[in-house]
Amino acid sequence: MEGIIRILRRFVATTIFISIFLLIFNFVLLGTLVFTENYQHPSPEGMVKQVANGLEKQDDSFQLDEQATELLKQNDAWAMLLGEKGHVRWDYHLPHDVPKSYSLVDVAKFSRYYLMDYPVYTSEHKDGLMVVGYPKESHWKYQLDFLPDWISSLPLRIVLLLLCNLALALLISVVIGTRLIRKIRPLVDGVHNLAREQESVQLDAKGIFGDLAQSINSASAILQSKTAALQARDEARSNWIAGISHDIRTPLSLVLGYASEMEDHSDLPKEQRHQAGIIRRQGEKLRSLVSDLNLVSMLEYEMQPMHLKPIRLSVLARQVVTEFLNNGLDDRYVIELKLTDEAVQIQGDEKLLLRAISNLVQNSVRHNSQGCKIIIEASLSNDRSHYLFIVRDSGRGILQEQLAEITELHYSTRRKRPDQQGHGLGLPMVARIAKAHHGRLILASGSDQRGLRAVMEFPVQSQNGKVDNEEI
Amino acid sequence: MENLKDKKILIVDDEPEIRIMIERFLRKEGFFRIFTAADCASALSICHTGKPDIVILDVMLPDGDGFSLLSSIRQFSETPILFLSARGEDEDRLLGLGLGADDYIVKPFLPRELVLRLMVILKRVFSSPVVERLSAFRLGEQIIDLDSAVVHRNDKELPLTAKEHAILVKLYENQNRIVTSDALCQAVWGDDSYGYENTLMVHIRRVREKIELDPSKPIHLLTVRGLGYKLLVKEIR
Repeated sequence: MEGIIRILRRFVATTIFISIFLLIFNFVLLGTLVFTENYQHPSPEGMVKQVANGLEKQDDSFQLDEQATELLKQNDAWAMLLGEKGHVRWDYHLPHDVPKSYSLVDVAKFSRYYLMDYPVYTSEHKDGLMVVGYPKESHWKYQLDFLPDWISSLPLRIVLLLLCNLALALLISVVIGTRLIRKIRPLVDGVHNLAREQESVQLDAKGIFGDLAQSINSASAILQSKTAALQARDEARSNWIAGISHDIRTPLSLVLGYASEMEDHSDLPKEQRHQAGIIRRQGEKLRSLVSDLNLVSMLEYEMQPMHLKPIRLSVLARQVVTEFLNNGLDDRYVIELKLTDEAVQIQGDEKLLLRAISNLVQNSVRHNSQGCKIIIEASLSNDRSHYLFIVRDSGRGILQEQLAEITELHYSTRRKRPDQQGHGLGLPMVARIAKAHHGRLILASGSDQRGLRAVMEFPVQSQNGKVDNEEI
Repeated sequence: MENLKDKKILIVDDEPEIRIMIERFLRKEGFFRIFTAADCASALSICHTGKPDIVILDVMLPDGDGFSLLSSIRQFSETPILFLSARGEDEDRLLGLGLGADDYIVKPFLPRELVLRLMVILKRVFSSPVVERLSAFRLGEQIIDLDSAVVHRNDKELPLTAKEHAILVKLYENQNRIVTSDALCQAVWGDDSYGYENTLMVHIRRVREKIELDPSKPIHLLTVRGLGYKLLVKEIR
C-alpha cells in the first residue's frame, strides 16, 4: 500500500519536527521565563560584596554607607561583621535570636547553609567576615559540586540527550502512527474499492473510526443499489426494445409476404401492383429499422457480445465498396479509396465494423440523391497511436448545428430538435460501434463547407496483441 | 427436378397466419403435400407418422423451443430442417445451425427468399447423387474447364497451375461481380495472406496470358483499380 506508507512517513516526519521544535521552545522558555526571576535584584553574593565594601572603619566604630544601607533595607536583610575571635564587631538590624559570638565550626556550618534558619551569605572584609542574612524562607540554598570530567563531557551529554529525545520521539511517532494506520488501512481500502465499484464494501464499524467506516459502508450500499437499479433499468429497456422488435417481426412477415405476392401477381392491375411494391419496400425499410434499433439499443447499453479479432480495416473498406459496386451503385456516385498503412490491425468485431463502414457510405449515398464523390481514407494518426478511418463526400452535408446531435438517438432527451433531414439510425449506430471499439466518431463539415466528413478513430493494436491505451 | 415439388413439407409455427401464408406460397410454387403444426407435440407426431421430407421450424413454440424439437427429431430422422424465427441474434443463429439445421431465416422474410432457400436444400438433399463437378465455361474463344484445370484454346490445351486454378474458381464463383484482392489472396493463400497482393498480380497476369487474346488489353478478366478483379462471363454452358 503505497499511499499508507506515504502517510506514515509524513506522520513520523511531522512528529519529529514538532518534538524538536518543542525541545528548543522549552529551552528558550526555561532560560527566559524560569531562571530570570533570580536576577531581578542584585544577587545575594553581589549584595554581600557591596555591603562589605560599603562598611568603613572610622576610629573604633564602623560606618555603612548610604547605598549599602538602602540595599539592605530594600531586601529586608540584616548584616554583621565577625571579628577574628568570632565576636560580632558590627551589626545592622541583627535579629535577637542570632548569637553574638561563633566558633570556627559554627562559621563553617552557616557559611554554606543557614544561620538559625536565616539564609546567610558571607564575604571577606579586611576586618573580619561580613555576613548578610535574609529573612527566613526567602532564599533556598543548595550546594553544587562538579567534577572536571563531567564538565568537559557536558556538550557530549547534551548531544546524547538530544539524540535520545529524538529516538524517543521517533519511536513514539512510529508506534502511534502504525496503530493509527492499522485503523485507517481498512478505511482506505474501502474507499479504493468504492471507487472501483467492485463488490460491496463491508467495513468493521468498531474502533475510533467507527462512524467513518459506517459512512463508507452505507455509501457502498447506496452505490450498489444504484448500480443494480441502473443495470436493471438498462436491461429492462434493452429487453423492451428486443421484445418490441421481436413482436413486430411476425406481423411484418405477413405484410412483406402478401405485399410481395401482390406485387408479383400478374392478374392485378398495374396500379395496384405498384402500390403493393411500395408497401413491400416500406416494409423492408421497417425490417431493417427494427434490426437496427435492436442492435443500437444493445450497443447503447453495452449488451452486444463482441467477437473480437485482429482486423485490417482496409480489407473491410474494399469489401464494402465492392459490395456497393456489385449491387449496382448508381453511376452518379464515384467512390475513391485512399488506403495507407494497410498492415495496421485493430481489435474489432468484423460484422460490426463492416456495418459501420457500410452505414457511412450508405449515409453519403442516401442523402445526396443528386450524386456525389465519396472518398474513403484510412491511415495512422500522426503519433501512430490511432487508426483513422475517414469517409467524406462532396454532397450537401449536414448543417453545422445539427452535427453535434446527429449521433444521438431520436428519442434521446439530448436531442433538442426533431430530426428534419430524415437521418435514420445509421450515424448513431456508427458512433456506438466506434465507442464499443474504444474509439470514437467525429463528424465535421467537408473542407470547403460542403459535404460531410466522418472520421472513425480506433486505438491501434500494438505488437504484443494488446490494445495500446487500455485492455478490452 | 420436377419430383422435388412432391416432397412432403412440414410447417411448424405457432402463428396461424404465418402457417397459412407459407402454405399458400408453397402451394403456388407447386408443392402440394404440406403439413402444418402449431406446437412441438403435434410436430413430433407428424414427423413420426407423416415422415416429412423437410421441416420449416419456428424457434419459439407454446410447449418448448425449436432447438430442443430439432434435437428430438434428429434422434430418429435426418430430415433437413430450416429454421424460420423472429429471434435473429447471432447467438440464436449459431445455435440453430450448430445443432444441425440446414438453414436459418430471420423474420420478417420475403416469401421468395424462403422458397429459394427451401429449393436449395431440397436440391442438395434429394437430387440424384452425381459427383459434384466444377463447371466448364466459355470465355470468347476459350473454353475453361475448371474441373480438369485446362484452358482449351485453338485446339491447344493450356494447363492451369494450382494457384491460377484457385484464382479462376474464386472469380467464377463470383462471376460478373468484383472480387476484392484480399478475398482472392485469402482464397489462394489462406488466412493471414496480407502482403501477397504483388504475387497475386503476377498470377493474374499469367491467367490472362491463357484466357485473353491480348493480355495487355483484357476483356474478360478486368482489373477494378484499388479494389480487385472481375471476371466477365457471358455464356455459361
